[in-house]
Amino acid sequence: MNLEAAIRLTEILMGFAFVQQSIEHITVFNNERRLFLARLILALLLISGIQTAWVSFLLLLLGLAILNIFQGPYNGGADRMSLLILFCLCLAHLAPTPRWQELAFGYLALQLILSYLISGWVKLVNPEWRNGQALQDVFQFSAYPVSESLRKLSLSPRLLLLMSWWVILFELLFPLALISNKSLIVVLIIAAIFHLANAFLFGLNRFFWIWIAAYPSIIWFQFRIFS
Amino acid sequence: MKLFQTIKLLLPALIPSWDFFESIAPSPRIQFSLLNSENQTNKPWIEFRPRPQSVSFITMLKRMLWNPCWNESLFLVSCAERIVGNSSSELILHSEQEILKRIKNDLVQKHQSLTATHLQFRLLFVQRQDQELTEDIAFYSRIQTFASEESR
Repeated sequence: MNLEAAIRLTEILMGFAFVQQSIEHITVFNNERRLFLARLILALLLISGIQTAWVSFLLLLLGLAILNIFQGPYNGGADRMSLLILFCLCLAHLAPTPRWQELAFGYLALQLILSYLISGWVKLVNPEWRNGQALQDVFQFSAYPVSESLRKLSLSPRLLLLMSWWVILFELLFPLALISNKSLIVVLIIAAIFHLANAFLFGLNRFFWIWIAAYPSIIWFQFRIFS
Repeated sequence: MKLFQTIKLLLPALIPSWDFFESIAPSPRIQFSLLNSENQTNKPWIEFRPRPQSVSFITMLKRMLWNPCWNESLFLVSCAERIVGNSSSELILHSEQEILKRIKNDLVQKHQSLTATHLQFRLLFVQRQDQELTEDIAFYSRIQTFASEESR
């Protein structure tokens, strides 16, 4: 995948993620509705490929206004990833040379790799993750499980220990996927299924859409560096 | 000042820490009480948006595209954590207002004829101590009238 195609695909996927997020806000309070209606229109323009540089810049400004309204991210990591993608896209559009453009978009790929690697590392160094207790806590009393019946999973310590180690190892070994294009695609599919499971179990639907919007950057990065 | 604040909010997005679920912190629950006067002493506390017993696969699938209520609840979890964290007084006030506003809105949507005149919420934090789960009340909001501050 060349840089131009990767940027365009990121714009389309991010535009879709923004449409989904914006629609969720349109039925609520007036001040939110105005901002998210504007975001919805800009996201549709981004998907259709009209003046994408300007649209990305306006979306970034709108993102900052939304950040101010909620005094921080509305949906934690999902909103932060949205801003990161937007920022990198804006830099890539503003870049004076192709080299700078690659650096801007490469930064997004690097952060995507780190998002898995660091998440895996912080879990590995925590004994409660290593013995499965942390995941038991997530299901037993955290705010995330979407139903009471899911809390019963906390009564299956062996399963949760297995799941904990699967998550730790998958996240830690994620960068090895860059070895080849095929291995990367396989690992990205597994990662997307992992996010889908999180969306189902913990209601983190926005995470799913925005994380896959960053995947074209790593596909391009792998091709650029290793092919 | 506003610019400085915006940069402060933006920086964690540009240089993220990516420490998801690093440790499992005490988890907030929001309970509210509907009051008939500001001085009412006997307060029945009701859990705000208790989880359903189960959620079907089809509902989970639909929620991939439409999940505003749950996402709002996750935002309220952040607000609750900001209130008890080392936040500035402005941020605590903002978080308190956001929680009050959204409980009020939820109640008005679900119950057309509310007789209560005032609303208060409190925050409970659930955590595991050894093998026991404990609940601690960490915060009581101010008592607010039902007179609408913001229309939908």
